[in-house]
Amino acid sequence: MKQKVFVGLSGGVDSSVTAALLKERGYDVTGVYMKNWSKDIPGFECPWLEDYQDAKRVAAILDIPFKMYDFEKEYKHLVVDYMLDGYKNGITPNPDIMCNQEIKFKLFFEAAMKDGADLIATGHYAKVLDGKLLNALDTNKDQTYFLYRASKDSLKKTLMPIGDYHKKDVRELAAKFNLPTATKKDSQGICFVGKVGIKEFLNFELGKQKSGNILDEQGNIVGTHEGAIYYTIGQRHGLNVGGGLPYYVIGKDMKKNEVYVTTDISSKELWKNEFNLDKMYFLDDIKKEDLNKLKVRTRYRAELVECQLILGEDTKASVELKESIKALTPGQSAVFYLDNQCIGGGIVI
Amino acid sequence: MKKSIYLDYAAATPLDPKVLQKMLPFFSEDFFNPTANYSKSKLVKEKVTEARKQVAMILGSRSNEIIFTTGGTESNNIAIKGVMDLFKDANILYSSIEHEAVINPAKSYNHKEIKVDEKGNLDFEDLKKKIDSKTVLISVMHVNNEIGVINKLSLVAEIIKKERLSREKNNNPLPLYLHSDASQSPNLLSLVVDKLGIDLMTLNGGKIYGPKQSGALYIRNGTKLKPLIEGGGQEDGIRSGTLNPANIIGFSESLKLANEIRKDEEKRLQKLTGDLIKKLLNNPKITLNGPIKNRAMNNINVCIDGIDNETLIYKLDQKGIMVASGSACSASDQEPSHVLKAIGLSDKQARESIRISIGRTTSDEDLGYFYNALMELI
Repeated sequence: MKQKVFVGLSGGVDSSVTAALLKERGYDVTGVYMKNWSKDIPGFECPWLEDYQDAKRVAAILDIPFKMYDFEKEYKHLVVDYMLDGYKNGITPNPDIMCNQEIKFKLFFEAAMKDGADLIATGHYAKVLDGKLLNALDTNKDQTYFLYRASKDSLKKTLMPIGDYHKKDVRELAAKFNLPTATKKDSQGICFVGKVGIKEFLNFELGKQKSGNILDEQGNIVGTHEGAIYYTIGQRHGLNVGGGLPYYVIGKDMKKNEVYVTTDISSKELWKNEFNLDKMYFLDDIKKEDLNKLKVRTRYRAELVECQLILGEDTKASVELKESIKALTPGQSAVFYLDNQCIGGGIVI
Repeated sequence: MKKSIYLDYAAATPLDPKVLQKMLPFFSEDFFNPTANYSKSKLVKEKVTEARKQVAMILGSRSNEIIFTTGGTESNNIAIKGVMDLFKDANILYSSIEHEAVINPAKSYNHKEIKVDEKGNLDFEDLKKKIDSKTVLISVMHVNNEIGVINKLSLVAEIIKKERLSREKNNNPLPLYLHSDASQSPNLLSLVVDKLGIDLMTLNGGKIYGPKQSGALYIRNGTKLKPLIEGGGQEDGIRSGTLNPANIIGFSESLKLANEIRKDEEKRLQKLTGDLIKKLLNNPKITLNGPIKNRAMNNINVCIDGIDNETLIYKLDQKGIMVASGSACSASDQEPSHVLKAIGLSDKQARESIRISIGRTTSDEDLGYFYNALMELI
């Protein structure tokens, strides 16, 4: 009997082609649109309905059953609130990682299994082999960074066929399959933040922030800011500091509502060759002797840096880097790779 | 070449080439503001006046009873808000299958919905029951855009007449007006306002092979309205804003053409939809929404058991066939059509319903192609 696969259809080209490829390969494919966010923000209309219709149109054209899972409540609670709390606490959260961890590879996976699926599939640029998460063929598009906290159980039953293709080939496939999404523009990360801009989004959700002082390394006030939450370490722009050398954010104090800057691009505060992690999560077992063969990535699409991982108590760990990296921010994820395998990662503290 | 068969004429119609020809000079050569005082603008004003006369002729009304608007939605808003804002304590009645452009403005005032039966025909008893001494406006559409039911406006007018007489007797000075959204009508029915007995009528150019965002509101002399858009006082102060001669002339011309060819079209459309309905109803999965008689001859609305309308529309689209689910407006939200629910369909049935609306270029062959494609899909 054919294996039953539920494909997460977002209304974009990657997930459309995922569904088409799996159907072509003989799976019994069902398309599922996950409704995660439908709120309009002033000046920006949430395109969820358009995406839903595109997803449904793709299902109709491929002649596969279509479902919608409504995760809006859970998404608000698990992803949006997590993100807002993070910003309020002065860290830089990553909602895409959270969405994969809590929504796609948990709620969607569980709902699909309950509805009779044998497998799930997503349009991510990554490969899954025997439950191992591997880099995509198109290294430029590789999305393993966002996937490192997915549950192991779900990955064992996940297909990511797009991981074997280059983006441009995916578009060609979409055209070959007559999919209406072939020429649709890619969305930028989390839909509402990509299009609204994080500052407008935070303003809308949290209200106008209190202004405060910007101080240099000597403690001199060099300017004012419109809310410390908008600033992230390493940021160069928008300090309202006129003239002279550019300033870089090196830290902030949410309680005092202060932002700290430097003009020294080589400041120790900006460049780190070691850092600490918490909430370590592993997708695969790792041998002790491999802990110094790892490479780490601290941002989506950032260069991989050779490192030594030192495991600590509970879920803590520390990392020593071969070369220092710039603008490490608490809240962001550090993700580890052994060759082309994504091993896991943790949250920078 | 891939087939392209358009069966959504109730949503939009192509501009008639004759209409376009009439419109063209007013975009650049004769661009003048018709209210200016030099001779060139006077010429434009004359053309607008002629256009107004032409509309009035078709309605059997006076020229000063026609104001030009940007179409059905605006005309409905002017009529409803214009009356209701003058009579704050009064109420409005409207039929439960009105377009959103009537329902939504009406909802901001004291309002009651008049029921319809399972075919969409107005429940006159319910209307009589709901009219009270504070009712100032009744809005009943002429032809329903989704299920094609034709309302007998003259019967509504009779009920209104009785109420007016009793108000005279009781010294109740509150007027009572009948408004009708006739956006879908001019291709199909006569629009003589005195025969229909209406005081306010909405017309829409975009549904009658005229330009989109064009239309008119008929306002019977003596009907009081508060202006919605204030400014330079154009259109008797009811609708300020520089006139748009191209659209006005285009609208007027499209209304004239619709009126001229209506009689011939009527029979042709009747035959086309009648034959297709018969064929469709032979399939046990298919039921007709709305009436068989007393139905706009360009409209078919059917419920097809077992396939949701969005999926069906996408699959038909793949074959080059364009049909609608509900009205073009309700296609954009997730709620099933309020019209289909008003005639007693379940949410599921409403989501399994499609509307086929035909027009001037629809042929027997087109409908045959559609029928075969549909049978393959369901």
